Amino acid sequence: MIDPYYLQQLAIGLSLGMTYALMAIGFTLIFGVLNVVNFAHGEVYTIGAFAGLVAITAFAPPFLAVLFLALAAGAAAGFSLERIAFRPFRRFTDEASLKSRAMRESTLLSSLAVSIVVREALEIVFGSEMQPLPFEYMINAPVQAGPVTLATGDLIIFGVAAAMLAGLQYMLKRTRIGLSIRAVSNNPLGARYVGINTDRTIVMTFVVGSTMGAAAGILVGLYYGAIFPAMGFIPGVKAFVAMVMGGLSSIPGAVISALILGVSESMATTFLASGWADMVAYGFLILTLVFFPSGLFGAGRERV
Amino acid sequence: MRMRTFALATIAAFAAANLAVPALARDTVTFGYQLPLTGDTAQYGQDFRKAAEIALEEFNKGDKPFTVSIVFEDSRSDAKEGVNIARKFVDDRRIVGVLGDFTSTVSMAAAQVYKNEGMPQLSQTASHPDYTKISEWQFRNIATQAQESPFNAAWMAGSGIKTVAVIAEQTDWGQSVVNTFAAAAREKGLNIIFQENFNRGLKDFRSVISKIQRANPDAIYTGFFYEDGAQFLKQVHQMGIRTPVYSTSAAYSPKLLELAGEAANGLRLTSNFLPNSPDPDVRHFVEEWKARSNGAEPGQFPAQAYDAVRIMIAAAERAHPDVTRRSLRDELAKTTDFPGVTGKTTFDADREPQKVLAKVEVTGGQFVPAGE
Repeated sequence: MIDPYYLQQLAIGLSLGMTYALMAIGFTLIFGVLNVVNFAHGEVYTIGAFAGLVAITAFAPPFLAVLFLALAAGAAAGFSLERIAFRPFRRFTDEASLKSRAMRESTLLSSLAVSIVVREALEIVFGSEMQPLPFEYMINAPVQAGPVTLATGDLIIFGVAAAMLAGLQYMLKRTRIGLSIRAVSNNPLGARYVGINTDRTIVMTFVVGSTMGAAAGILVGLYYGAIFPAMGFIPGVKAFVAMVMGGLSSIPGAVISALILGVSESMATTFLASGWADMVAYGFLILTLVFFPSGLFGAGRERV
Repeated sequence: MRMRTFALATIAAFAAANLAVPALARDTVTFGYQLPLTGDTAQYGQDFRKAAEIALEEFNKGDKPFTVSIVFEDSRSDAKEGVNIARKFVDDRRIVGVLGDFTSTVSMAAAQVYKNEGMPQLSQTASHPDYTKISEWQFRNIATQAQESPFNAAWMAGSGIKTVAVIAEQTDWGQSVVNTFAAAAREKGLNIIFQENFNRGLKDFRSVISKIQRANPDAIYTGFFYEDGAQFLKQVHQMGIRTPVYSTSAAYSPKLLELAGEAANGLRLTSNFLPNSPDPDVRHFVEEWKARSNGAEPGQFPAQAYDAVRIMIAAAERAHPDVTRRSLRDELAKTTDFPGVTGKTTFDADREPQKVLAKVEVTGGQFVPAGE
């Protein structure tokens, strides 16, 4: 019989990994298409959480309505983010500009700028402290599963992450918009030549990716009962590590890496002081970059 | 001859300028206040500013021989930024005394500048034991862990607790919680069976909590502020652990109750400020605070900031009309039985305030004085 202590730590790790995975899915999708890190993804996550919070405090709607409002806010945030931070760098459509790394990588800074502006604006409006939440909305009621204590939120987050992953795979592999997303991510110039509306495809990707980011924000916010303007930063870093470990553009790879990350962190707490647990994530990042430069699951040619 | 006239004129001009300085100081005494107004700890700095403004307004309304103004600078709780602000304050000849910073780490970094340049510094919250040891210029208006830890250890020992798990944030302050408590616990015959620091802002404490649960202590002693505290207590509750949790006065904030809800019930901690005390001075401060905060009650930290500003002003009043950095420091050091909302404050020879601590327990979602 395994020590229930380790089972509990495993459960905590998987639950932690799920929250990272939720964020990593949207992050990886956007990277896959544009080949550039969207630094504002953490703020989309925060916007999702705050949209839910505002809805809860204003009309106290049922849980599902809160979730959908957060999704809608995420979609709107993704759309505006693309307009403000990414579209201006694609206004030249000649081949040299499209292939230019500098044009692409400028969006690193423009998305970072948007993320700072959004975070500070939220701080001005809401204050930087944790926002109190009505307790009936929190999804952290304990659920006893044998020797292991889980929370309702663990099950909800698992369900949503699984649905998001499956839905996304379906969309990418079976629908026309998925086909165009895959085409643009493989070769944006080629996609344009064969008549795909690349701008619309990119906007779609942002909308879908940001919707998922916002869902992650509201779910994790309600799970921990901690909603505050800087909440997106740490999950953003963890999702980034998961994405790199997963091979940059593989969504299932990012999810698996996120779970590995969560379990390693909770297990590491057994042997190390918890102050060092963050080292696990950064250690993995370095090890992956040194030994698996194309990620643990990134060997294939297929993108997204 | 012309040369000499010119020299005399210059000297006269300088003398006039010098005379002008005390004349100006008679009108307004200026303090600097370094505190985090943006960033992760902005909520604390915003509260300090609100408390300082209440104190300022009261004083300036009164019929006093001088008025006080405060220059607020945002340190973002960043030690480098704190040092920059310290340099700026030191270079500003109007400023005769400094309040802040919020954290021990930033206060101690800035203190090096104030020590070298001779500027009195009074922090409302820096409770690291080494802070006042930096030089004769550093004061604080908070009970240190050297005072709280023995108090709490005695409380626990008195409740029949034998084994304790200690967990505190990974900061200068958090380490002083762990170290002073470990020493006090040994003296009181408590056995520390688990000891760990966590990174501030940790969202998920469940791994550490299971680890504590495996060590199976009689009580958990914690060094955290209200956000981390709320997360910790919620997750302890969620995991169905009933071990009593003790904490320091740093967690004493109405926001803890708001964020943790029923999970906060049973938390035991110390405090030197009770917002529902009948004392008229406290009543007045709480009313002023509520009027500016949509009816929310102040926690212990803003109360300490309010008293710190008033202690500084009282020292300036005693030093008046000759308010300089040196005379202000000397008068601050003479502070005896200052009647504040956080109790009477007297600075001892090491510029440490002696605070009266009260035992508080969270019952039914309220902080109530704990029975013996």
